[in-house]
Amino acid sequence: MIKTAVIEELKKIVGEGEVLTTKEALKAYSYDGTTNWIREPDVVVFPKNTIQISEILKVANREKVPVTPRGGGTNVSGGSVPWMGGIVLCTTKMNNILKIDKENLTCTVECGVVLQDLNNALLKEGLFFPPDPQSFLGATIGGIIAENAGGPACVKYGVTKQYVLGLEVVLPTGEVVNLGGRTLKNVVGYDLLHLFISSEGTLGVITKAELKLNPLPPSRKTIVAVYDDVTKAGETVFRVLENGVIPGKIELLDNWVINRIEEMMPMGLPRDADAMLLFECDGIDEAVQKETEKVVDISKKYGATDVRVAKDTDEANRYWMARRAGFAAVFGKAKTVLSEDVTVPRGKIPDLIKKSKEIAKKYGLELVMLGHAGDGNLHPSFLTDISNKEHYEKATKAMEEIIYAAVELGGVLSGEHGIGLEKQKFFTRVTDPKVVDLMKKIKALLDPNNIMNPGKIWE
Amino acid sequence: MNSRLIDKIREIVGKENVLISEEERKCYSFDARAHGSVPDLVIFPKSASQVSEVLKLANEHNFPVIPRGQGSGVTGGAVSISGGVVMVFTKMNRILEIDKENLIAIVEPGVITYEFQEEVKKHGLFYPPDPASHKYSTIGGNVAECAGGPNSLKYGVTRDYVLGLQVVLPTGEIIETGVRTMKGVVGYDLTRLFVGSEGTLCVITKIILKLIPLPESKATLLVFFREVEDAAICVSGIISARIVPAVMEFMDRASVICSEMANPIGIPEETGALLLIEVDGDEASVKAQVEKIIPILKEKKASEFRITYDPKESEALWLARRTLSQATYNLNPVKVAEDVVVPRSKIPILIRKLEVLSEELNIPILSFGHAGDGNFHVSIMIKDEPRDWEKAEKAVREIFKETIQLGGTISGEHGIGTLKSDYIDMELSREALITMAKIKKLFDPNNILNPGKIFPKYMKF
Repeated sequence: MIKTAVIEELKKIVGEGEVLTTKEALKAYSYDGTTNWIREPDVVVFPKNTIQISEILKVANREKVPVTPRGGGTNVSGGSVPWMGGIVLCTTKMNNILKIDKENLTCTVECGVVLQDLNNALLKEGLFFPPDPQSFLGATIGGIIAENAGGPACVKYGVTKQYVLGLEVVLPTGEVVNLGGRTLKNVVGYDLLHLFISSEGTLGVITKAELKLNPLPPSRKTIVAVYDDVTKAGETVFRVLENGVIPGKIELLDNWVINRIEEMMPMGLPRDADAMLLFECDGIDEAVQKETEKVVDISKKYGATDVRVAKDTDEANRYWMARRAGFAAVFGKAKTVLSEDVTVPRGKIPDLIKKSKEIAKKYGLELVMLGHAGDGNLHPSFLTDISNKEHYEKATKAMEEIIYAAVELGGVLSGEHGIGLEKQKFFTRVTDPKVVDLMKKIKALLDPNNIMNPGKIWE
Repeated sequence: MNSRLIDKIREIVGKENVLISEEERKCYSFDARAHGSVPDLVIFPKSASQVSEVLKLANEHNFPVIPRGQGSGVTGGAVSISGGVVMVFTKMNRILEIDKENLIAIVEPGVITYEFQEEVKKHGLFYPPDPASHKYSTIGGNVAECAGGPNSLKYGVTRDYVLGLQVVLPTGEIIETGVRTMKGVVGYDLTRLFVGSEGTLCVITKIILKLIPLPESKATLLVFFREVEDAAICVSGIISARIVPAVMEFMDRASVICSEMANPIGIPEETGALLLIEVDGDEASVKAQVEKIIPILKEKKASEFRITYDPKESEALWLARRTLSQATYNLNPVKVAEDVVVPRSKIPILIRKLEVLSEELNIPILSFGHAGDGNFHVSIMIKDEPRDWEKAEKAVREIFKETIQLGGTISGEHGIGTLKSDYIDMELSREALITMAKIKKLFDPNNILNPGKIFPKYMKF
């Protein structure tokens, strides 16, 4: 339990009103985008600037109190849950867009800026920040960088890492450092910038970011391809890419998801289809036209039973709304959802789907498959109920098998959600102990008292 | 190095893979720009385990090991500062796998970048990073330096194509980092920590690379401007029109004159700046991009432009740019080359500053480079005389100061090595440097791997 004197000190730093200690408040900051892990902090603070964060960390470091940085709390692997209690450092009040530099296609933002707010501001300038985690309505830039978030658009545009040019970071010992810069190229010294990206809040607090932006593509088209066999859909994905077309997005929805979406909001999706692929081609008109034709041809060639090109933006938006509703559909249907974030080399998507189906069958479970097929990142999910011990254990076991199957296929545990609490036990099992050891040493080097987000990644 | 140690090393890598004679060793004492000390031994390992054995020995007997590809670096990264073993990777040069389905390849570090590019091209694939040395530099060296090139505006730098690595740590452990997939967050990003670490944190023994589909066709445009500001406005105009060219090379007035004198292509007189633009993609989109660019050129006061869709003719348009590097030596025998980057919109400010500096110091300063990403190669041409060296030193400081003030960085793609290490603290804060030094010590407690690089001399290891 944190000392009252420390709380008083925190109040002095950020102001009385920016420190929460009531029971209800602590409860509100005890979980993340899922409710699979719950742990209340001792105190929640809302700093307004970098200096305050530095002061907070100095106090925490002196008192050896854990600090868990938190943005919108939308993450799904437990990263922002204060697993060892202590301070939740909530960045939502540092939400200023400091600069949008149209000429250089960059912007400077504080860590607490919500992605949707940023993209709304960029839209006015004809620009966008491509990484698009599906939690964009609440996710903050700081959290997105800390988790190296991705989304559907990453197949063409890459993940967060590729869009961070510079960071201002407060080290666990309170020093403020600037890493990277404002330019597209920079090879001055070690790449600490990328060490901090995806470090899940364990190496320091990201306070400010310089981001690379893209001009909005002038034109886009949506294509729906319907399959009677989900593995054929999987094959189509890498055949499209192999033929030199990289669509802006390629998403996979299976029969279960299609039907739940239809129940929630009927929009004429093919309810008897085993799976469908949703493509979006973007770029200049001529290129989009040509890519669309290619996607249609290849989809047909590899077994699509029906291929439609959305006639207009309205129709296209309906399909994408359906895709976004996918997760809600899954989470709304069961008390507990076990959803994974495995990524396999794209050519292995059909194998992973086949294998997952076998595993589900073996355990008598209902499997839901959806995800960013374009980069091999799938979110296989089981519907279960944590209070039904027997069923939950079965689901957990089956999911473990899926994870190992993915790793065996040359894949990884997590494409975009991070390790956090959720994947710890797999992480240490599939990662070379020498590598884990090296990471732990880097952690100890930067955070000698282990105050930053302790209990995550490998512990 | 005593003979027992030399024998041990010969045993590890095989007699035929060790150079002992002074003449031979001397060839490995410099890179494309820097001169260093003659190594005690030059070896050509054939596997990661050989590398590991040698590094363990180095820790035990405390001798430096310097990894080296083709030695085409320009900041002294592959050159020893005090004897030791230079470890050359030209015999680990196999392309192990090209996986067309997953768009990845696995290579050994000694593969020549250009040869790899040609090989993947046969499969309709493309490995974009194209440092000027790509015809002879190795991919291992490119990764260690995080090399860039003309096409990084559209396609990114080497870092963006390295998915995973096999490396040998300075203490001899062999580890694998990263993934074979397009996405992956599995702990700290050691892969990117190693990319660009200039051979000081690990020895790279295998590389997993991302590939992309080869663009079907391209168009090349050579554009002349009277004033550098017009060229810069034109670059911004093109990007604002949502066109991202694969290449946007720039040459300033001094470069244009120098190149035209060496190899005339009929550049109009009074040309103050030149842009070489390439757009790529499928045929329809290349045409569409060109059609959008042409009105912009006219509107932004281009004085003349030439255009081709033919790859052979394109070579002719590249001539001025390709001639330049060599032609600079016609001005003076010694080149002090910098590799600064500024935000794109600040390009004209920097170029004007260089013109003033050149006049003030009365030495030729040429700048050319990658306008799209603001990365400039500034060549200060001097005679090998103390007075000129002094001037060059002064110019470099001034250029770096201005660059940093403009929000830029002192090295975009060449690295720090030995030649820039005295300036690194102009850009990096003390805290950042100390953190980097701590990481170096963590990985390499005995400071045996490529010592004396990156960090300023006053930092002791």
